Amino acid sequence: MNSYKFNELSVGMSESFTVTITEEIMDKFIEITGDVSPIHVNREYAVAHGFKNRVCHGMLFGSMFSTMAGVYLPGEHCLLHSVETKFSLPVFPGDVLTVTGKISEINDTFKTVAVKGTITNQDGKKVCKANIQLGVRE
Amino acid sequence: MTREEIFAQLTEIFQDVFDDDEIVLTDDTTADDIEDWDSLEQINLLVAIEKEFKIKFQLSDVSSLENVGAMVDLVEKLVG
Repeated sequence: MNSYKFNELSVGMSESFTVTITEEIMDKFIEITGDVSPIHVNREYAVAHGFKNRVCHGMLFGSMFSTMAGVYLPGEHCLLHSVETKFSLPVFPGDVLTVTGKISEINDTFKTVAVKGTITNQDGKKVCKANIQLGVRE
Repeated sequence: MTREEIFAQLTEIFQDVFDDDEIVLTDDTTADDIEDWDSLEQINLLVAIEKEFKIKFQLSDVSSLENVGAMVDLVEKLVG
């Protein structure tokens, strides 16, 4: 885990990590949230509606921005204020996602940091992007 | 920049931050008048105002702001 302090951060700093989407974590997400929409649960249903497999919940891979902030950038001292997320492409079991965060703004007075988040799949296609606002504990 | 011009720009910033086009500001408007105006949105507002007016607040300046009128006065002073 990273432990960047506010004064160690600068515009342009970036971090990234990868995560593989599996049927197992999708099932855990369903268990936690209760989102049993058939497009996420039933492969046949998803295929019949034009997808190649069960579609991963956007909020599942979107939650990786929490990991980005709380573990990588800035890590331990993070206080997450907001995450505005957009989902561009569907994600399926077996996809290997690269989650990236890059600092776009720092406000010295209010000790806030803006991070641009992106998630790309194994084909290099952007599946999700986010504007992340966070604070850094002293 | 006139006080009225600052008011107009502040109104746009408030409407954008709170995603509410019906917000109308007066000198006496306070956080009690806008439901979502909490401490986090206060920071978002001040950061947005800094960007819009190309000014820099000091914490000591903004910690005692009583209402929108005081905010306009501060922006007017910093814009010069």
